[in-house]
Amino acid sequence: MSAAATTIPGRVRPPLAVPARPSRWRSRLASAVVVAVVVLAFWSVQIDWARLSHLPADIVRYLWLMFHAPTWAKLPEALFQTWRSVAMAWAGTVLAILVATPLSFVAARGFAPAPVRLALRGLFSLVRAVPEIITAIIILSVTGLTPLTGALALAVGGVGTLGKWGYESIEGVPGGPIEAVRAAGGSTSQVIRWGVWPASAPEFLSFWLYRFEINVRASAVLGLIGVGGIGDMLTSYTQYREWPTVGVLLIVVVVVTISIDAASGALRRRIMEGARARALDEQ
Amino acid sequence: MSQVVTADGRVLTVPPRPRGRHRTVLAWVAVLAVLAVTALTMAPRVGIDADLSAVAGHWRNGASKIVALLAPDWAFFPRTVEPLVQTLQMAVIATAIGAVVSLPLSLWAARPTNPDRWSRGALRVLLNIVRAVPELLYAAVLVAMVGVGALPGIIALVLFDVGIIVKLVSEQIEAADTGPLEAATAAGGTQLQVNRSVAVPDVLPGFLNQTLYVLELNVRASAVLGLVGAGGLGLLIDAVRSFYRYDQLSLIILEILVVVVVIDSASAAIRRRLV
Repeated sequence: MSAAATTIPGRVRPPLAVPARPSRWRSRLASAVVVAVVVLAFWSVQIDWARLSHLPADIVRYLWLMFHAPTWAKLPEALFQTWRSVAMAWAGTVLAILVATPLSFVAARGFAPAPVRLALRGLFSLVRAVPEIITAIIILSVTGLTPLTGALALAVGGVGTLGKWGYESIEGVPGGPIEAVRAAGGSTSQVIRWGVWPASAPEFLSFWLYRFEINVRASAVLGLIGVGGIGDMLTSYTQYREWPTVGVLLIVVVVVTISIDAASGALRRRIMEGARARALDEQ
Repeated sequence: MSQVVTADGRVLTVPPRPRGRHRTVLAWVAVLAVLAVTALTMAPRVGIDADLSAVAGHWRNGASKIVALLAPDWAFFPRTVEPLVQTLQMAVIATAIGAVVSLPLSLWAARPTNPDRWSRGALRVLLNIVRAVPELLYAAVLVAMVGVGALPGIIALVLFDVGIIVKLVSEQIEAADTGPLEAATAAGGTQLQVNRSVAVPDVLPGFLNQTLYVLELNVRASAVLGLVGAGGLGLLIDAVRSFYRYDQLSLIILEILVVVVVIDSASAAIRRRLV
């Protein structure tokens, strides 16, 4: 279609102004910086790159060593150590729930004075920034190299995450029921019980389960510093280069983690989404 | 069972209301089960052996160590610089390799970009297995395979990164509107052309977002990977902890905190612009 066809007689259309191309220098600069950082990291890191060439062959060889004939005789011990790891994860989760649930109310807007709230939130983020394994190293000077240390470290880490998720969930609760309880003369504990809890309970339950899933992985890792459990067993057998046993342990870790994740995930979905809708029977 | 007659004359049977009493009983059974499991996990010999008398005995000894945490040994700083840099190098390199490997694998693992059920399923199963093992366990095994240093740490982080990025990005591809992909297929594009010209540009902001998120996770993880011999600050943590130099440990923790907070806030600022 030509421009003349749409021109109304007697009027001259001003030429269409094409907007300038959006400036791309910001994104170009950003990609240049990223490339520079990555190149710098590769260039400066001390790695024997020559070793990389026979790495694939090595890995295939070790996988063969681990999995062609796993020592199933070690399975009972592996399962017992896994149970200890899971026990550590469970106890850590329970302790964290007991401490974090009241604290998340204190950290939520509307329940405590601002300085207390902010201090508590700072504490939660501080705890979240420290890896659990370092927390475990700190508290083992008091509790020794026992699974209890692992459970306590997981509890500390759990307070950081559960506390944060908790106060976010409480602040997300619709204000109507809370106002209604207040208007009816309810005390703070009654506001929590009848205004907040019914709305946030499903989220809390699902956070607890999710934190348990995280703890199951973390408890396997905590064994590496010697507090017991499957990670402890794994380090000793890798140090002795008993690859067939290492194979069994890795299989146990994978199966247990995937099963617990699946069970807990199904429970969480049931809690958050409710029962599957049933059709009304037509007659 | 009650029955309802609809406006057009059909008779529907309404399932019985869930009865309150049963639910209360169920809730109590659940609470008791949780308590029983908790008691079992705390029990001596069977569970974690919560022996509080030993804790009381160690208390005095441990408390002085923990007090040492409050007074970081600043003179130790020069010795921490090199491991700190190595930690960051490992995190950056692993994120870069992980991202490069993950983009094609994400397209492979998503239904709209890979219609073949079998190859998609195989990759997903493999990645579920990879994700089930924490990166520190990979590092512990890899150190025994390829020797002490940054290399096993980087490989462990890459495995971890690929597991996460591919899962999150392929879910994003599956949640996206399929219109553009269908249009490109209808215009005669092969699956490869469709993926390259439609799916990749569409998923790129999300992919960069997840990559930055993984970088944050990698910085935290690479700080402790050295505990099993995989390079970075962890090696130093292992050294100072065997001498119970908690004042030096305190400085290392402080450095980790600063680095984690700086990387997290920088990455959060960029991610806010991306999405």
